[in-house]
Amino acid sequence: MNAAPLARRPLGCLKASLRQARQQRTTAAAPAAFLARQLSTVTPTVAGTGALPEHNFFRMIDKKTKKTRSAFAVYAQPPPVPATTAAQATLLPAPPPDPMPHLAAEQIKSMDPTGARTALFTKTRYAARVGDVLMVTHRRGGEPFAGVCLAIRRNGIDTSVLLRNHLSKVGVEMWYKVYNRNVAGIEIVKRRAKRARRAKLTYMRQPKHDMGSVADLVFAWKKTRKVIGSKPGAGKGAQSAKKRK
Amino acid sequence: MAPQLPTRCWRQLQQPSLQSLTLALARPTPSALLLPRTTTRGVKYGWSTLPSRAKPARFNQVSSGLPAPTTGPAAALKRRERTTPMRTGVLAIKKGMTAFMGKTGSRIPCTVLQLDKVQTVANKTRASNGYFAVQVGLGERRPDNVGAPMLGYFEAKGLAPKRVLAEFHVRDQSGLLPVGVQLLPDWFHVGQWVDVRANSHGKGFAGGMKKHGFKGQGASHGNSLAHRAIGTTGPSQGGGSRVLPGKKMPGRMGNERVTMQNLPVLMVNNELGIVVVKGCVAGPKGCVVKIQDAVKKPPPAKEFIEASRKVLDERFPDAAETLTAARVKHLQLKEMRKQGRIEDMLAAGVVVDGAETVVASEVTV
Repeated sequence: MNAAPLARRPLGCLKASLRQARQQRTTAAAPAAFLARQLSTVTPTVAGTGALPEHNFFRMIDKKTKKTRSAFAVYAQPPPVPATTAAQATLLPAPPPDPMPHLAAEQIKSMDPTGARTALFTKTRYAARVGDVLMVTHRRGGEPFAGVCLAIRRNGIDTSVLLRNHLSKVGVEMWYKVYNRNVAGIEIVKRRAKRARRAKLTYMRQPKHDMGSVADLVFAWKKTRKVIGSKPGAGKGAQSAKKRK
Repeated sequence: MAPQLPTRCWRQLQQPSLQSLTLALARPTPSALLLPRTTTRGVKYGWSTLPSRAKPARFNQVSSGLPAPTTGPAAALKRRERTTPMRTGVLAIKKGMTAFMGKTGSRIPCTVLQLDKVQTVANKTRASNGYFAVQVGLGERRPDNVGAPMLGYFEAKGLAPKRVLAEFHVRDQSGLLPVGVQLLPDWFHVGQWVDVRANSHGKGFAGGMKKHGFKGQGASHGNSLAHRAIGTTGPSQGGGSRVLPGKKMPGRMGNERVTMQNLPVLMVNNELGIVVVKGCVAGPKGCVVKIQDAVKKPPPAKEFIEASRKVLDERFPDAAETLTAARVKHLQLKEMRKQGRIEDMLAAGVVVDGAETVVASEVTV
């Protein structure tokens, strides 16, 4: 036992120091035995013999006598399974504990190969945010729907946006699934001047905060994009910028 | 058949002479009191001291023209034949819901179910259990969280302790599987129908409005503290003045088994270990669900069933050997436990190897 640290300490903690030193001596002298006592219920693994998989013994120890009351062979978890019967060499990896993100990534990859839709709604400075005026064009023609974005639900393949507009002075709200095939493209018509300090702008339904129709904003934006051009083919530049499926 | 004289009666009759017998009959003695009170006894009056004949069983058989019995194990199995799936199902864990976006712009809500180390654990047969079923286990469990009886059970199967065990009834012998094989999502194929059963969300003690959809009572018109009450539970005098059995009452709601029938399989993925089914499945995320071929839809094609069975044999060619070796080893360890020698054996580092010491065929399967 090292006496030097003992001398530096007040006498009151002598007992604690002795206990500590005793503990250290025990663990230093026989670390293996110390560990073994901690994990006394499980024996070292026995390699698989013949047809049997590898196993170890789980001991049930009597609390009073500290003797092994009983012991059972506990076999190892099943080994990886061959991926295909043709190629026995390749083994299936252990499935992830949470498959949902993997599945979502797979789905998004197939529904949005260019990554444009994903980029539009991941949280970057270029992405669309609540408060922006967005316009959704449909795959099967029809009038595009524009409106102020009240909410964005980011949920993998189910990611969707809520747009609000006024059509013939009646408030209209539409949820759009971003990765749906029916959505041909989503464009930002006008960005909100200042970042919204709410995630959901439901207060914009109140008359006091309602933006009203965004038709004039869309018209102005189309003018700048030359969608409503004087000569045919003027809108081509705008078309190519669209996120197309 | 003629009535039989009990043995205790005619044995006494045999021993004394005929005269004493008649005397005995004439005067009621204590021994004569034991005799049946019949005025005339004898073979010609229908009495017989012969040993009982064999029962006329041959008149009670199906071959004698009687219809087949409609009750009993055979009849029950026959009755359920059409509604019992051909092959076993699997256990899985509900991981959550998502959606598939169809090519035509449709959105299909779906549930993701993950298979976690799903292995067959035992087979139930008509001969020993009265029905055919496959016991399937899911997941893993720490051995210190398993009781001694189940540790011994898994030891005998050569398997690691499973988190959950469940049985899946199958139609006949052909639906049984080797013990210890692992079932992967490709046990099902995309487009087939499955029944998925799970325990629903527990709602705790719920009132009549929530549990049974009762209307409740008015908010006003003098109502006092009875807005969500169930109202009366039955008529008064004249109607019996009692509550009829089965009356819907407040009580525990949810956490009961719910079967979703005929869900199409949208996706199977061995790498992620998932089966994706259309629609919703009862229960919270993380609950254990049972998936099996749908009862009310045609089963998977015969070719597919045969192919998937063949794949199992190829993936686990020595399942039978493992089981036999594990059983032999289990019997030896069990004997040691009985004799109290298990500690000595472990201390000496003796490794019992059943396959080498005992011939496999000696073990009764």
